[in-house]
Amino acid sequence: MAEHCEITESLKVFRDNFNQNERLKKMNRDWDRVIAIKATDIDSLHTLTLRKGDLSLREGASETPDLVVISDSETLADLFYGDVTPTEPYLNGTLKIQGSEDDIIRLDFISLMIWGE
Amino acid sequence: MQLKRLLTLRTVVATSAGLTLASSCFLAAVQVAGYVLGDSAWIAILIGGSLCLLSAACFSELNGLLPSAAGIRLYFSRAFNEQISLVISIFYMLIVVIGVIGAESYILSRILSESFPAIPPYGWIILLLLAVTGMNVRGVKIAGTFQDIITYGLVVSLVVMALIALYRVDFQLTAPLNPGGTEGLINAIAIGIFLYVGFEWVTPLAEEVTKVPLVSRGMFLALGVLSVVYAVFTVAMTASVPKEMLTNSAIPQMIFARTALGDAGAVWMVVFSLAATITTFNAGLMNVSRFMYAGAREHVLPAVLSRISPRFFTPWVAILALLGIALAVSAIVLLTHRYMLLVEMAAAVESIVYALAGLAVISLRRRMADCERPFRIKGGLLVPLLTFIVFAVLAVAVMLENRLVFAGLLAGALVCWAYVKTMVPYLKEKHRSRRSANRRRPARLKGQ
Repeated sequence: MAEHCEITESLKVFRDNFNQNERLKKMNRDWDRVIAIKATDIDSLHTLTLRKGDLSLREGASETPDLVVISDSETLADLFYGDVTPTEPYLNGTLKIQGSEDDIIRLDFISLMIWGE
Repeated sequence: MQLKRLLTLRTVVATSAGLTLASSCFLAAVQVAGYVLGDSAWIAILIGGSLCLLSAACFSELNGLLPSAAGIRLYFSRAFNEQISLVISIFYMLIVVIGVIGAESYILSRILSESFPAIPPYGWIILLLLAVTGMNVRGVKIAGTFQDIITYGLVVSLVVMALIALYRVDFQLTAPLNPGGTEGLINAIAIGIFLYVGFEWVTPLAEEVTKVPLVSRGMFLALGVLSVVYAVFTVAMTASVPKEMLTNSAIPQMIFARTALGDAGAVWMVVFSLAATITTFNAGLMNVSRFMYAGAREHVLPAVLSRISPRFFTPWVAILALLGIALAVSAIVLLTHRYMLLVEMAAAVESIVYALAGLAVISLRRRMADCERPFRIKGGLLVPLLTFIVFAVLAVAVMLENRLVFAGLLAGALVCWAYVKTMVPYLKEKHRSRRSANRRRPARLKGQ
């Protein structure tokens, strides 16, 4: 089981990698989304907000997210460090992503562009 | 925390029915009529639709229990095991995409080349597939209000055309309740399942609708609408044109439209067929290319299929790979004229998947007994069991009727099985060894 701070660290790494990638920022400048990240086995909630190509992170929940990423703490930490692709846990049901199918795919594309295959 | 949800029941029904309505459906509809006596095709069509309600109930329970765009890939992996789930998913995608693309492109190319003979049929296929591939690479999706307009326009159009035709021939029912022998009726229902192929592909919308139960309700309503529309249209076709003429043609809807409404009817049908085929292709290519992309991302398909367009955020390699498959399949169908074989194969595979959905419900009632189910089929195991038995019988009926269907499906299943047993472990191991050497998560934090 990962701790809340590990998930926070992984999300910071994800956020920093996103914001350092000018191409990715440009590609997502018209994709404004609020993404909630929730662990199922520990008390841990985060919100990633993408506005005009800038990704920000804060602890706690958003009231009306566009996407909700739900999984156990281990999977979430591995996921945002890029050690596992979202697709594997998503297809075996370990990872749940609530939101539109297009948004789910876009999130996976972003992960792929940050971390590669 | 409340997720933003936008889609309404109207769009769910339009999406479910729109994925199903295709030019090749008329071919299946006249084959259904050919198996039964007189005007009784409507009986087989309505029974087929009612049976699909059973599988819709199973998909509703599965989707409520495991709401995910991964669909049968996830349901079957939880209900059976990972390998079975993978074999069935690849097999299903392969056969349905080959079946639908092959039959659909053949039929539309015949319709268009009949109306515009200057361009040969394969020229139309290339043009059509390039257009839809271009739409997919650019991420253009026929969805939402646009999908509503197309689907409801097609439905109204079909009903109006059928009623005008019935009025013109001063339609009188002859033997409407006498479909003939049981064997013919079973075969008619089995082929009739093709009329509903894809209605369940609406389940990925579960997270986008204003209320989750709308997906189930939408599937049921779509099946009801489709059953009535197909039944009325098929009766109008067989009342206006001799059955033999319809069943011996690849484009019975054109013969019907021209006979019933003259040149205006033919133009109407060309426009209808174009809209129906393009929406089917657009949704089909998008779903299958995403399936291929997801397969590459979970390392069960070659990694090259996960390449995405940085401009349009679409899996362009998977889309182009599908274009190649579609062009090859279309060329083979055009040369061999074996389009009915594809329709029958797709109907059989769809029946197999519906039968397995029934089994999956039964299995998950035991394996995930305590999990919350927003939609639970009433009556214990009766409906899932019936679903399994009925669709297993229908799949067998199609395969017995045409041994080539059985041979084709067996070959396809064996290839998929061999691929999952040999290539998938290789691809997974290749990725695993590379990943463990490049782990990013700090070790000091792990396991504390």
